[in-house]
Amino acid sequence: MQKPEFTPVKDLTYTAAVAELDSILRTMQSDRCDIDLLAAYTRRATELIAECRSRLTTTDAELRAILADLTPEA
Amino acid sequence: MSGARPFDSAPLSVTALSRIIAGLLSVSDLHDVWITGELVDLRASGGHCYMELVDKDAGSGRVNARIKAIMWANIAPGIGAKFQRGTGQRLQSGLKVMVLGTVNYHPSFGISVVITDINPSYTLGEAERRRREILERLKADGVIDLNRSLQWPVPVLRIAVVSASGAAGYGDFVNQLYSTPRRIRFSVELFTAVMQGVRTAESCIAALDAIGRRVNEFDCVVMIRGGGSSSDLQSFDDYALAANVAQFPLPVIVGIGHERDTTVLDYVAAMRVKTPTAAAEWLIARAGECLDRLRQAAADILAAATDRMAGCNTQLSYCEGMLPTVARAAVQRSRATLDNARLSLAGVRASRIVPEQSRLGAAGDALKVASRAIVSRAMERLDASAGLLGALSPEATLRRGFSVTRTSDGHTITSAGEAAEGTVIVTTFADGEVTSTIINHQ
Repeated sequence: MQKPEFTPVKDLTYTAAVAELDSILRTMQSDRCDIDLLAAYTRRATELIAECRSRLTTTDAELRAILADLTPEA
Repeated sequence: MSGARPFDSAPLSVTALSRIIAGLLSVSDLHDVWITGELVDLRASGGHCYMELVDKDAGSGRVNARIKAIMWANIAPGIGAKFQRGTGQRLQSGLKVMVLGTVNYHPSFGISVVITDINPSYTLGEAERRRREILERLKADGVIDLNRSLQWPVPVLRIAVVSASGAAGYGDFVNQLYSTPRRIRFSVELFTAVMQGVRTAESCIAALDAIGRRVNEFDCVVMIRGGGSSSDLQSFDDYALAANVAQFPLPVIVGIGHERDTTVLDYVAAMRVKTPTAAAEWLIARAGECLDRLRQAAADILAAATDRMAGCNTQLSYCEGMLPTVARAAVQRSRATLDNARLSLAGVRASRIVPEQSRLGAAGDALKVASRAIVSRAMERLDASAGLLGALSPEATLRRGFSVTRTSDGHTITSAGEAAEGTVIVTTFADGEVTSTIINHQ
Protein backbone atom coordinates (compact mmCIF):
# COMPACT_ATOMS: atom_id res chain seq x y z
CA MET A 1 0.00 0.00 0.00
CA GLN A 2 1.50 3.31 -1.09
CA LYS A 3 1.14 5.99 1.53
CA PRO A 4 0.61 9.46 0.06
CA GLU A 5 3.46 11.85 0.82
CA PHE A 6 2.35 15.14 2.32
CA THR A 7 4.36 18.36 2.31
CA PRO A 8 4.63 19.75 5.83
CA VAL A 9 1.76 22.22 6.19
CA LYS A 10 4.12 24.99 7.32
CA ASP A 11 5.83 24.85 3.93
CA LEU A 12 2.60 25.33 1.98
CA THR A 13 1.15 28.63 0.84
CA TYR A 14 -2.37 29.33 2.00
CA THR A 15 -3.66 28.88 -1.53
CA ALA A 16 -1.83 25.58 -1.95
CA ALA A 17 -3.13 24.38 1.42
CA VAL A 18 -6.73 25.21 0.54
CA ALA A 19 -6.33 23.63 -2.90
CA GLU A 20 -5.02 20.45 -1.29
CA LEU A 21 -7.83 20.48 1.24
CA ASP A 22 -10.32 20.81 -1.57
CA SER A 23 -8.71 18.01 -3.52
CA ILE A 24 -8.68 15.70 -0.47
CA LEU A 25 -12.36 16.38 0.18
CA ARG A 26 -13.18 15.63 -3.42
CA THR A 27 -11.14 12.43 -3.33
CA MET A 28 -12.91 11.36 -0.15
CA GLN A 29 -16.27 12.01 -1.82
CA SER A 30 -15.41 9.95 -4.83
CA ASP A 31 -15.15 6.20 -5.24
CA ARG A 32 -11.43 6.54 -5.80
CA CYS A 33 -10.98 6.91 -2.09
CA ASP A 34 -8.85 4.16 -0.63
CA ILE A 35 -10.23 3.12 2.75
CA ASP A 36 -6.70 2.37 3.93
CA LEU A 37 -5.88 6.05 3.35
CA LEU A 38 -9.12 7.45 4.77
CA ALA A 39 -7.72 8.02 8.24
CA ALA A 40 -4.58 9.57 6.78
CA TYR A 41 -6.65 11.83 4.54
CA THR A 42 -8.89 12.88 7.39
CA ARG A 43 -5.90 13.64 9.61
CA ARG A 44 -4.25 15.60 6.80
CA ALA A 45 -7.42 17.56 6.10
CA THR A 46 -7.80 18.43 9.78
CA GLU A 47 -4.19 19.54 9.87
CA LEU A 48 -4.67 21.72 6.81
CA ILE A 49 -7.78 23.34 8.24
CA ALA A 50 -6.03 24.09 11.52
CA GLU A 51 -3.05 25.59 9.71
CA CYS A 52 -5.20 27.74 7.40
CA ARG A 53 -7.28 28.96 10.30
CA SER A 54 -4.22 29.88 12.30
CA ARG A 55 -2.79 31.77 9.33
CA LEU A 56 -6.05 33.66 8.86
CA THR A 57 -6.01 34.68 12.49
CA THR A 58 -2.40 35.82 12.28
CA THR A 59 -2.99 37.71 9.05
CA ASP A 60 -6.06 39.38 10.49
CA ALA A 61 -4.09 40.60 13.49
CA GLU A 62 -1.27 41.84 11.24
CA LEU A 63 -3.72 43.63 8.96
CA ARG A 64 -5.27 45.41 11.89
CA ALA A 65 -1.85 46.45 13.14
CA ILE A 66 -0.74 47.72 9.71
CA LEU A 67 -3.96 49.53 8.89
CA ALA A 68 -4.18 51.12 12.31
CA ASP A 69 -1.53 53.57 11.02
CA LEU A 70 -3.76 54.55 8.14
CA THR A 71 -6.89 55.50 10.04
CA PRO A 72 -7.64 59.24 9.67
CA GLU A 73 -5.82 61.37 12.20
CA ALA A 74 -7.90 63.14 14.79
CA MET B 1 -21.45 139.23 -3.19
CA SER B 2 -22.20 142.11 -5.57
CA GLY B 3 -25.39 141.79 -7.48
CA ALA B 4 -26.98 139.73 -4.71
CA ARG B 5 -30.58 140.48 -4.12
CA PRO B 6 -31.44 141.94 -0.75
CA PHE B 7 -32.82 139.21 1.55
CA ASP B 8 -36.08 141.01 2.06
CA SER B 9 -36.93 140.31 -1.54
CA ALA B 10 -38.99 137.18 -2.12
CA PRO B 11 -36.81 134.05 -1.36
CA LEU B 12 -36.95 130.92 -3.54
CA SER B 13 -38.27 127.68 -2.27
CA VAL B 14 -36.12 124.59 -2.88
CA THR B 15 -38.65 123.47 -5.40
CA ALA B 16 -38.43 126.74 -7.26
CA LEU B 17 -34.63 126.61 -7.11
CA SER B 18 -34.67 123.08 -8.41
CA ARG B 19 -36.88 124.07 -11.21
CA ILE B 20 -34.41 126.85 -12.17
CA ILE B 21 -31.48 124.41 -11.97
CA ALA B 22 -33.33 121.86 -14.06
CA GLY B 23 -34.04 124.50 -16.62
CA LEU B 24 -30.42 125.63 -16.70
CA LEU B 25 -29.22 122.02 -17.21
CA SER B 26 -31.52 121.47 -20.16
CA VAL B 27 -28.95 122.47 -22.69
CA SER B 28 -27.69 120.57 -25.70
CA ASP B 29 -24.14 120.48 -24.29
CA LEU B 30 -25.35 118.13 -21.56
CA HIS B 31 -27.61 116.15 -23.85
CA ASP B 32 -26.40 112.85 -25.33
CA VAL B 33 -22.71 113.32 -24.57
CA TRP B 34 -20.04 110.59 -24.45
CA ILE B 35 -18.51 110.43 -20.98
CA THR B 36 -15.47 108.38 -19.85
CA GLY B 37 -14.77 107.42 -16.27
CA GLU B 38 -14.32 104.54 -13.86
CA LEU B 39 -17.44 102.75 -12.84
CA VAL B 40 -17.85 102.43 -9.08
CA ASP B 41 -20.57 101.33 -6.66
CA LEU B 42 -22.61 99.66 -9.35
CA ARG B 43 -25.77 98.19 -7.88
CA ALA B 44 -29.14 97.05 -9.20
CA SER B 45 -32.44 97.99 -7.64
CA GLY B 46 -35.91 97.40 -9.03
CA GLY B 47 -34.41 96.56 -12.39
CA HIS B 48 -32.60 99.89 -12.63
CA CYS B 49 -28.82 100.14 -12.34
CA TYR B 50 -27.33 102.81 -10.12
CA MET B 51 -23.68 103.69 -10.11
CA GLU B 52 -21.15 106.46 -9.93
CA LEU B 53 -18.72 107.56 -12.57
CA VAL B 54 -15.42 108.84 -11.19
CA ASP B 55 -12.11 110.19 -12.38
CA LYS B 56 -9.15 109.07 -10.31
CA ASP B 57 -5.73 110.58 -10.09
CA ALA B 58 -3.44 108.30 -12.11
CA GLY B 59 -0.70 108.40 -9.47
CA SER B 60 -2.52 108.42 -6.09
CA GLY B 61 -5.80 106.86 -7.14
CA ARG B 62 -7.62 109.69 -5.32
CA VAL B 63 -11.03 110.58 -6.73
CA ASN B 64 -10.91 113.91 -8.50
CA ALA B 65 -14.48 114.00 -9.78
CA ARG B 66 -17.61 112.00 -9.28
CA ILE B 67 -21.13 111.97 -10.65
CA LYS B 68 -24.13 109.73 -10.09
CA ALA B 69 -25.38 107.74 -13.06
CA ILE B 70 -28.36 105.54 -13.75
CA MET B 71 -29.52 103.05 -16.34
CA TRP B 72 -33.26 102.57 -16.43
CA ALA B 73 -34.61 99.07 -16.32
CA ASN B 74 -35.85 99.20 -19.92
CA ILE B 75 -32.37 99.60 -21.39
CA ALA B 76 -30.03 98.28 -18.65
CA PRO B 77 -30.09 94.62 -19.87
CA GLY B 78 -29.42 95.69 -23.47
CA ILE B 79 -26.45 97.81 -22.44
CA GLY B 80 -25.10 95.04 -20.22
CA ALA B 81 -25.37 92.52 -23.04
CA LYS B 82 -23.70 94.82 -25.52
CA PHE B 83 -20.86 95.45 -23.10
CA GLN B 84 -20.38 91.76 -22.43
CA ARG B 85 -20.36 90.94 -26.13
CA GLY B 86 -17.76 93.59 -26.78
CA THR B 87 -15.42 93.02 -23.86
CA GLY B 88 -15.97 89.44 -22.81
CA GLN B 89 -16.78 90.51 -19.28
CA ARG B 90 -19.71 91.75 -17.28
CA LEU B 91 -20.28 95.38 -16.62
CA GLN B 92 -19.00 95.86 -13.10
CA SER B 93 -17.39 98.24 -10.67
CA GLY B 94 -13.76 99.08 -11.30
CA LEU B 95 -14.02 99.18 -15.08
CA LYS B 96 -13.21 102.17 -17.15
CA VAL B 97 -16.17 102.86 -19.39
CA MET B 98 -17.35 105.21 -22.09
CA VAL B 99 -21.08 105.84 -21.87
CA LEU B 100 -23.56 107.98 -23.73
CA GLY B 101 -25.60 110.00 -21.26
CA THR B 102 -27.78 112.99 -20.63
CA VAL B 103 -27.40 115.07 -17.51
CA ASN B 104 -30.62 115.14 -15.61
CA TYR B 105 -31.64 116.99 -12.52
CA HIS B 106 -34.18 115.57 -10.09
CA PRO B 107 -35.47 117.65 -7.21
CA SER B 108 -35.00 114.78 -4.73
CA PHE B 109 -31.97 112.97 -6.13
CA GLY B 110 -29.98 115.80 -7.54
CA ILE B 111 -27.81 115.64 -10.62
CA SER B 112 -27.30 112.33 -12.33
CA VAL B 113 -26.40 111.04 -15.77
CA VAL B 114 -29.01 108.92 -17.46
CA ILE B 115 -27.08 106.42 -19.54
CA THR B 116 -28.48 105.31 -22.89
CA ASP B 117 -25.54 103.62 -24.60
CA ILE B 118 -22.04 102.27 -24.01
CA ASN B 119 -18.85 101.91 -26.05
CA PRO B 120 -17.26 98.58 -25.12
CA SER B 121 -14.15 99.02 -27.23
CA TYR B 122 -13.09 101.91 -25.05
CA THR B 123 -12.94 99.57 -22.08
CA LEU B 124 -10.98 97.03 -24.00
CA GLY B 125 -8.59 99.87 -24.38
CA GLU B 126 -5.01 100.11 -25.33
CA ALA B 127 -3.83 97.69 -22.63
CA GLU B 128 -6.27 95.05 -23.70
CA ARG B 129 -5.36 95.43 -27.32
CA ARG B 130 -1.73 94.96 -26.43
CA ARG B 131 -2.64 91.92 -24.32
CA ARG B 132 -4.44 90.36 -27.24
CA GLU B 133 -1.53 91.04 -29.53
CA ILE B 134 0.81 89.26 -27.12
CA LEU B 135 -1.53 86.29 -26.89
CA GLU B 136 -1.84 86.09 -30.67
CA ARG B 137 1.93 86.09 -30.93
CA LEU B 138 2.26 83.34 -28.30
CA LYS B 139 -0.32 81.32 -30.18
CA ALA B 140 1.55 81.80 -33.45
CA ASP B 141 4.74 80.67 -31.68
CA GLY B 142 2.89 77.49 -30.65
CA VAL B 143 3.77 77.97 -26.99
CA ILE B 144 0.60 79.43 -25.54
CA ASP B 145 -0.75 76.11 -24.21
CA LEU B 146 2.53 74.49 -23.16
CA ASN B 147 2.42 75.31 -19.46
CA ARG B 148 -1.29 74.57 -19.22
CA SER B 149 -0.71 71.16 -20.82
CA LEU B 150 1.89 70.11 -18.25
CA GLN B 151 1.16 67.12 -16.09
CA TRP B 152 0.89 68.20 -12.47
CA PRO B 153 3.20 66.26 -10.17
CA VAL B 154 1.51 64.30 -7.40
CA PRO B 155 1.65 65.56 -4.75
CA VAL B 156 2.50 69.25 -5.25
CA LEU B 157 4.50 70.01 -2.11
CA ARG B 158 7.80 71.70 -3.09
CA ILE B 159 6.94 75.22 -4.10
CA ALA B 160 9.14 77.91 -5.64
CA VAL B 161 7.60 81.33 -5.04
CA VAL B 162 8.27 84.36 -7.21
CA SER B 163 7.32 87.41 -5.20
CA ALA B 164 8.65 90.62 -3.78
CA SER B 165 10.45 90.06 -0.48
CA GLY B 166 8.39 91.19 2.46
CA ALA B 167 5.32 91.67 0.31
CA ALA B 168 1.96 91.26 2.04
CA GLY B 169 0.88 88.80 -0.66
CA TYR B 170 3.78 86.48 0.08
CA GLY B 171 3.00 86.67 3.81
CA ASP B 172 -0.64 85.80 3.16
CA PHE B 173 0.42 82.88 1.02
CA VAL B 174 2.85 81.41 3.55
CA ASN B 175 0.46 81.96 6.47
CA GLN B 176 -2.35 80.23 4.66
CA LEU B 177 -0.13 77.38 3.54
CA TYR B 178 1.15 76.57 7.01
CA SER B 179 -2.12 77.06 8.85
CA THR B 180 -3.65 74.03 7.17
CA PRO B 181 -5.45 71.89 9.74
CA ARG B 182 -4.32 68.78 7.92
CA ARG B 183 -0.66 69.50 8.67
CA ILE B 184 0.50 69.00 5.13
CA ARG B 185 4.25 69.50 4.93
CA PHE B 186 4.82 72.03 2.17
CA SER B 187 8.29 73.37 1.52
CA VAL B 188 8.48 76.90 0.20
CA GLU B 189 11.45 78.76 -1.24
CA LEU B 190 11.19 82.42 -2.19
CA PHE B 191 12.83 83.76 -5.34
CA THR B 192 12.56 87.51 -4.97
CA ALA B 193 11.55 89.65 -7.89
CA VAL B 194 10.35 93.14 -8.49
CA MET B 195 6.62 92.88 -8.87
CA GLN B 196 5.76 96.36 -10.12
CA GLY B 197 7.14 99.01 -12.43
CA VAL B 198 9.17 98.81 -15.57
CA ARG B 199 11.65 96.19 -14.25
CA THR B 200 8.92 93.71 -13.43
CA ALA B 201 9.20 91.47 -16.49
CA GLU B 202 12.99 91.37 -16.52
CA SER B 203 13.12 90.64 -12.78
CA CYS B 204 10.50 87.90 -12.93
CA ILE B 205 12.30 86.22 -15.85
CA ALA B 206 15.53 86.24 -13.81
CA ALA B 207 13.71 84.57 -10.90
CA LEU B 208 12.23 81.93 -13.25
CA ASP B 209 15.71 81.28 -14.65
CA ALA B 210 17.03 80.73 -11.12
CA ILE B 211 14.23 78.22 -10.44
CA GLY B 212 14.80 76.57 -13.82
CA ARG B 213 18.39 75.79 -12.89
CA ARG B 214 17.11 73.72 -9.93
CA VAL B 215 14.02 72.44 -11.64
CA ASN B 216 14.26 68.99 -10.02
CA GLU B 217 13.91 70.47 -6.55
CA PHE B 218 10.41 71.85 -7.09
CA ASP B 219 6.93 70.69 -8.02
CA CYS B 220 5.56 74.03 -9.14
CA VAL B 221 6.07 77.80 -9.31
CA VAL B 222 3.79 80.31 -7.66
CA MET B 223 3.91 83.92 -8.87
CA ILE B 224 2.14 86.22 -6.43
CA ARG B 225 1.89 89.79 -5.32
CA GLY B 226 -0.53 91.80 -3.29
CA GLY B 227 -3.49 93.70 -4.70
CA GLY B 228 -1.86 96.91 -5.85
CA SER B 229 -3.36 99.29 -8.33
CA SER B 230 -4.63 97.90 -11.58
CA SER B 231 -2.34 100.06 -13.66
CA ASP B 232 0.61 98.19 -12.19
CA LEU B 233 -0.69 95.04 -13.79
CA GLN B 234 0.25 96.32 -17.20
CA SER B 235 3.89 95.56 -16.48
CA PHE B 236 2.96 91.86 -16.46
CA ASP B 237 1.48 92.17 -19.94
CA ASP B 238 4.87 91.47 -21.40
CA TYR B 239 5.64 89.16 -24.28
CA ALA B 240 9.01 87.91 -23.00
CA LEU B 241 7.67 87.17 -19.52
CA ALA B 242 4.56 85.44 -20.92
CA ALA B 243 6.71 83.33 -23.27
CA ASN B 244 8.92 82.32 -20.31
CA VAL B 245 5.95 81.31 -18.21
CA ALA B 246 4.33 79.44 -21.10
CA GLN B 247 7.47 77.40 -21.73
CA PHE B 248 8.46 76.87 -18.12
CA PRO B 249 9.01 73.15 -17.38
CA LEU B 250 7.08 73.29 -14.10
CA PRO B 251 3.40 74.22 -13.79
CA VAL B 252 3.06 77.90 -12.89
CA ILE B 253 0.33 79.25 -10.63
CA VAL B 254 -0.31 82.95 -11.19
CA GLY B 255 -1.91 84.90 -8.37
CA ILE B 256 -1.43 88.47 -9.48
CA GLY B 257 -4.01 91.08 -8.71
CA HIS B 258 -7.68 90.39 -8.23
CA GLU B 259 -10.63 89.04 -10.12
CA ARG B 260 -11.13 91.97 -12.45
CA ASP B 261 -7.44 92.36 -13.16
CA THR B 262 -6.27 89.96 -15.80
CA THR B 263 -2.90 89.85 -17.47
CA VAL B 264 -1.56 87.72 -20.29
CA LEU B 265 0.05 85.51 -17.63
CA ASP B 266 -3.42 84.43 -16.59
CA TYR B 267 -3.90 82.95 -20.07
CA VAL B 268 -0.63 81.02 -20.29
CA ALA B 269 -0.07 79.81 -16.72
CA ALA B 270 -1.13 76.29 -15.77
CA MET B 271 -3.32 77.76 -13.05
CA ARG B 272 -4.65 81.21 -12.31
CA VAL B 273 -5.97 82.27 -8.97
CA LYS B 274 -7.32 85.57 -7.75
CA THR B 275 -5.12 86.08 -4.70
CA PRO B 276 -2.03 84.69 -2.96
CA THR B 277 -4.37 83.22 -0.34
CA ALA B 278 -6.33 81.48 -3.07
CA ALA B 279 -3.08 80.04 -4.43
CA ALA B 280 -2.33 78.55 -1.01
CA GLU B 281 -5.87 77.24 -0.70
CA TRP B 282 -5.66 75.64 -4.09
CA LEU B 283 -2.41 73.87 -3.16
CA ILE B 284 -3.89 72.74 0.15
CA ALA B 285 -6.99 71.40 -1.56
CA ARG B 286 -4.87 69.54 -4.08
CA ALA B 287 -2.68 67.98 -1.38
CA GLY B 288 -5.85 67.22 0.56
CA GLU B 289 -7.16 65.31 -2.44
CA CYS B 290 -3.97 63.24 -2.42
CA LEU B 291 -4.48 62.53 1.27
CA ASP B 292 -8.10 61.62 0.62
CA ARG B 293 -7.07 59.29 -2.17
CA LEU B 294 -4.57 57.64 0.18
CA ARG B 295 -7.22 57.28 2.86
CA GLN B 296 -9.65 55.91 0.32
CA ALA B 297 -7.00 53.45 -0.81
CA ALA B 298 -6.44 52.44 2.81
CA ALA B 299 -10.16 51.94 3.29
CA ASP B 300 -10.35 49.95 0.05
CA ILE B 301 -7.42 47.79 1.11
CA LEU B 302 -9.03 47.17 4.47
CA ALA B 303 -12.34 46.33 2.83
CA ALA B 304 -10.72 44.04 0.27
CA ALA B 305 -8.62 42.31 2.92
CA THR B 306 -11.57 41.91 5.25
CA ASP B 307 -13.68 40.57 2.43
CA ARG B 308 -11.00 38.09 1.39
CA MET B 309 -10.50 36.98 4.98
CA ALA B 310 -14.22 36.48 5.42
CA GLY B 311 -14.29 34.45 2.22
CA CYS B 312 -11.40 32.29 3.45
CA ASN B 313 -13.14 31.79 6.77
CA THR B 314 -16.35 30.70 5.09
CA GLN B 315 -14.50 28.27 2.85
CA LEU B 316 -12.58 26.77 5.78
CA SER B 317 -15.71 26.41 7.87
CA TYR B 318 -17.39 24.69 4.98
CA CYS B 319 -14.50 22.26 4.60
CA GLU B 320 -14.38 21.72 8.34
CA GLY B 321 -18.08 20.92 8.45
CA MET B 322 -17.82 18.60 5.50
CA LEU B 323 -14.81 16.58 6.62
CA PRO B 324 -16.48 14.25 9.22
CA THR B 325 -19.46 13.60 6.96
CA VAL B 326 -17.26 12.86 4.02
CA ALA B 327 -15.07 10.47 6.00
CA ARG B 328 -18.06 8.58 7.41
CA ALA B 329 -19.68 8.49 4.02
CA ALA B 330 -16.52 7.00 2.53
CA VAL B 331 -16.57 4.23 5.14
CA GLN B 332 -20.24 3.57 4.54
CA ARG B 333 -19.70 3.47 0.82
CA SER B 334 -16.94 0.92 1.23
CA ARG B 335 -19.12 -1.17 3.51
CA ALA B 336 -21.88 -1.09 0.94
CA THR B 337 -19.42 -2.13 -1.72
CA LEU B 338 -18.40 -5.09 0.45
CA ASP B 339 -22.02 -6.08 0.99
CA ASN B 340 -22.64 -5.88 -2.70
CA ALA B 341 -19.62 -8.05 -3.33
CA ARG B 342 -20.86 -10.63 -0.79
CA LEU B 343 -24.28 -10.70 -2.42
CA SER B 344 -22.73 -11.02 -5.81
CA LEU B 345 -20.63 -13.94 -4.59
CA ALA B 346 -23.73 -15.67 -3.19
CA GLY B 347 -25.37 -15.13 -6.52
CA VAL B 348 -22.43 -16.65 -8.31
CA ARG B 349 -22.70 -19.76 -6.10
CA ALA B 350 -26.39 -20.14 -6.86
CA SER B 351 -26.11 -19.43 -10.52
CA ARG B 352 -22.93 -21.23 -11.39
CA ILE B 353 -21.80 -23.81 -8.81
CA VAL B 354 -25.13 -25.46 -8.02
CA PRO B 355 -26.03 -26.15 -11.65
CA GLU B 356 -22.53 -27.34 -12.20
CA GLN B 357 -22.83 -29.68 -9.26
CA SER B 358 -26.10 -31.13 -10.45
CA ARG B 359 -24.64 -31.51 -13.87
CA LEU B 360 -21.75 -33.41 -12.34
CA GLY B 361 -24.18 -35.60 -10.36
CA ALA B 362 -26.15 -36.47 -13.49
CA ALA B 363 -22.96 -37.26 -15.29
CA GLY B 364 -21.97 -39.65 -12.46
CA ASP B 365 -25.26 -41.49 -12.70
CA ALA B 366 -25.05 -41.75 -16.42
CA LEU B 367 -21.53 -43.02 -16.04
CA LYS B 368 -22.70 -45.74 -13.65
CA VAL B 369 -25.46 -46.92 -15.98
CA ALA B 370 -23.28 -46.78 -18.99
CA SER B 371 -20.45 -48.68 -17.38
CA ARG B 372 -22.76 -51.34 -16.09
CA ALA B 373 -24.22 -51.81 -19.54
CA ILE B 374 -20.81 -52.04 -21.04
CA VAL B 375 -19.77 -54.71 -18.51
CA SER B 376 -22.90 -56.74 -18.97
CA ARG B 377 -22.58 -56.52 -22.70
CA ALA B 378 -19.03 -57.73 -22.44
CA MET B 379 -20.11 -60.55 -20.16
CA GLU B 380 -22.72 -61.62 -22.62
CA ARG B 381 -20.19 -61.57 -25.35
CA LEU B 382 -17.82 -63.60 -23.21
CA ASP B 383 -20.55 -66.13 -22.44
CA ALA B 384 -21.34 -66.44 -26.09
CA SER B 385 -17.70 -66.92 -26.91
CA ALA B 386 -17.35 -69.50 -24.21
CA GLY B 387 -20.27 -71.49 -25.71
CA LEU B 388 -18.75 -71.35 -29.14
CA LEU B 389 -15.40 -72.21 -27.73
CA GLY B 390 -16.91 -75.30 -26.04
CA ALA B 391 -18.45 -76.46 -29.30
CA LEU B 392 -15.23 -76.06 -31.21
CA SER B 393 -12.87 -77.49 -28.56
CA PRO B 394 -10.70 -80.68 -29.33
CA GLU B 395 -12.32 -82.42 -26.40
CA ALA B 396 -15.72 -82.07 -28.09
CA THR B 397 -14.25 -83.41 -31.30
CA LEU B 398 -12.62 -86.26 -29.47
CA ARG B 399 -15.91 -87.06 -27.80
CA ARG B 400 -17.50 -87.20 -31.14
CA GLY B 401 -15.08 -90.07 -31.91
CA PHE B 402 -12.16 -88.33 -33.43
CA SER B 403 -8.58 -88.71 -32.20
CA VAL B 404 -5.41 -86.68 -32.42
CA THR B 405 -2.10 -88.21 -33.35
CA ARG B 406 1.14 -86.54 -32.35
CA THR B 407 4.75 -87.46 -32.43
CA SER B 408 6.36 -88.27 -29.17
CA ASP B 409 7.66 -84.80 -29.05
CA GLY B 410 4.09 -83.39 -29.26
CA HIS B 411 4.02 -82.51 -33.00
CA THR B 412 0.63 -83.19 -34.46
CA ILE B 413 0.57 -85.51 -37.40
CA THR B 414 -2.11 -84.54 -39.91
CA SER B 415 -1.02 -86.66 -42.93
CA ALA B 416 0.24 -90.16 -43.52
CA GLY B 417 3.38 -88.77 -45.03
CA GLU B 418 4.50 -87.44 -41.75
CA ALA B 419 4.52 -90.87 -40.18
CA ALA B 420 7.48 -92.91 -41.26
CA GLU B 421 7.88 -96.55 -40.29
CA GLY B 422 9.19 -97.05 -36.80
CA THR B 423 7.99 -93.67 -35.59
CA VAL B 424 6.52 -93.67 -32.16
CA ILE B 425 3.23 -91.91 -32.16
CA VAL B 426 0.86 -90.89 -29.40
CA THR B 427 -2.82 -91.08 -30.12
CA THR B 428 -5.15 -89.13 -27.96
CA PHE B 429 -8.79 -90.26 -27.51
CA ALA B 430 -11.53 -88.73 -25.52
CA ASP B 431 -10.86 -91.05 -22.66
CA GLY B 432 -7.04 -91.28 -22.81
CA GLU B 433 -3.90 -91.80 -24.86
CA VAL B 434 -2.13 -94.82 -26.45
CA THR B 435 1.43 -94.98 -27.65
CA SER B 436 2.13 -97.00 -30.82
CA THR B 437 4.90 -97.70 -33.25
CA ILE B 438 4.23 -97.50 -36.91
CA ILE B 439 4.98 -100.86 -38.46
CA ASN B 440 3.69 -100.43 -41.84
CA HIS B 441 3.47 -97.52 -44.03
CA GLN B 442 1.69 -97.69 -47.31
